[in-house]
Amino acid sequence: MIEAKHLTKRYGKTVAVDEVSFTVKPGQVTGFLGPNGAGKSTTMRMVLGLDTPSSGQVLVDGKAYRELADPLRSVGALLDAGAIVGGRSAANHLTWLADSNGIARRRVTEVLEIVGLGEVADKRVGSFSLGMSQRLGIAAALLGDPETVMFDEPINGLDPEGILWIRNLMKSLASEGRTVFLSSHLMSEMAQTADHLLVIGRGRIIADASTDEIINRHTAQSVRVRALQQTELAEALVRHGASVDRGSDGAMVVTGMDSAAIGGTASAHDITLVELAPLGSSLEEAYFDLTKDETDYHAGQLAGSSKGI
Amino acid sequence: MTIATHTIETTHFAHTAAPVRTTKISRAVKSEWTKVRTLPSTWRTAVIAVTVSIGLGIILCISQADQWATMTAQQRHTFDPTACSLGGLFLVGAVLLGALGVRAVTAEYSTGMIRSTFTATPTRRRVLSAKAAVVAAFVFPVALLTAVVSFVVGQQAFVGKHLQVSLGSPGVLQALVFAGVAISLVAIIGVGLGGLIRHTAGATTALVLIIVGGAVLGQFLPAGFRQYLPGTALEAAVTVNHSAGLLKPGSAIVVLGLYAAIAFVAASIRVAHRDA
Repeated sequence: MIEAKHLTKRYGKTVAVDEVSFTVKPGQVTGFLGPNGAGKSTTMRMVLGLDTPSSGQVLVDGKAYRELADPLRSVGALLDAGAIVGGRSAANHLTWLADSNGIARRRVTEVLEIVGLGEVADKRVGSFSLGMSQRLGIAAALLGDPETVMFDEPINGLDPEGILWIRNLMKSLASEGRTVFLSSHLMSEMAQTADHLLVIGRGRIIADASTDEIINRHTAQSVRVRALQQTELAEALVRHGASVDRGSDGAMVVTGMDSAAIGGTASAHDITLVELAPLGSSLEEAYFDLTKDETDYHAGQLAGSSKGI
Repeated sequence: MTIATHTIETTHFAHTAAPVRTTKISRAVKSEWTKVRTLPSTWRTAVIAVTVSIGLGIILCISQADQWATMTAQQRHTFDPTACSLGGLFLVGAVLLGALGVRAVTAEYSTGMIRSTFTATPTRRRVLSAKAAVVAAFVFPVALLTAVVSFVVGQQAFVGKHLQVSLGSPGVLQALVFAGVAISLVAIIGVGLGGLIRHTAGATTALVLIIVGGAVLGQFLPAGFRQYLPGTALEAAVTVNHSAGLLKPGSAIVVLGLYAAIAFVAASIRVAHRDA
């Protein structure tokens, strides 16, 4: 369990994390979603006691991280898989971590097997691929059998097989009742992995709800429609309060009415429909809706132009 | 090489993750010792430091023996066969072994692994203390071994001139042990510089300037100041025949200890208050 209360981090005049309050609960995967530079990594470093908050606090299991006895037994974290001195073997890298928290050395072999690095335990970590380094970082996070795990962008640079593996691992950790906190800027990944989402933009939490709820609340249901009497249907739908966009392929995208209402309207006007397809809404749309005012850098706002190109 | 990708069974291993009962500082020390001994570059550096120091010591002794005939009475009077044989150790060995202290800190800052270290051991002063203790404990026997071998081999160069002293001669054992202590203190200074500067190149350069550069700069300073410079104190710590302008060996060790304490405390404060 991670609880942040009015957590704030300032660097000079820049506010990286702004009065953020949230709770990451056990038993589910909580995604921490936001554009680059939104404050995800800064928040995670404050959780781990690496960066000191300018104000506010963050607690793990009710305690400040630095107060935890043998912290690796409470929290396992992967911040940056590449942040490792390359000269040691994978097993030795985990051994110094185990020694620091009084964890038995046979646990090193176990976690290497869990992440599938058993065969390369004695290889220099400097020779590891990015995917192998990510697995080693996850092994390090699991070393103390912690109740809380935290991963910063864990699927960066992984192949599809590795992504699937991490996704299943997160879910199985959550199903064991652990607190799983995972940051990403990849919405499709979050939609598939996270049960609950914290969306952050410019240092502020802009949404804190279940993934389904966020998708439903922030996407307009739209329906793709084609009819023989396209113009007449469009006029009728607009009269009923829907809004109609013309797609490039001649189909219309209707928002503000569901399929049944569109079908009913068409039938009332003796219009023949040739296509009526509800468009699935995605987390991506919800995310853009949420963060449209929050991202620091919009495409088309380069070189000081505020009107776009 | 194949990696199993579907082995996500249970991750609960409560029995094997059960705590091993030890105190906090001993865990930090054990962890830092694991780091030092599992890094191949530690052993490479030690081997290079030992061989270069011994080799340079032999060259210095042979050269001094050759010059004996042309030395003035004053030079002959102050000639110290023990210090001469340890010349390689305190000219080159000190910097190479001291750099182990630097890298124990800077290797982690430059890669970012320091965050893993501080996540595992959030009390940063404890981390730095453990690093200093482990580096000093590793460097001491290496430096002592180098000193003894340098001494024994170096004295052979003086046999022809009947200048050699033996391990049993007055002050010799103390000089050899002090060589080990002094180099260990230099390694702690290295840990401190590493914590203050965080970059390997910068901190190593600072160490070289302090140890070697101090001796060069010292020539322009009055002897009263010069004797307190780290490089001069290092030289004084291994002398047997006391010479003017150098501290007594015991005082030199105290001075080096003060430098190590200042560097270590400054680094502890800096590291504890900075975001990692």
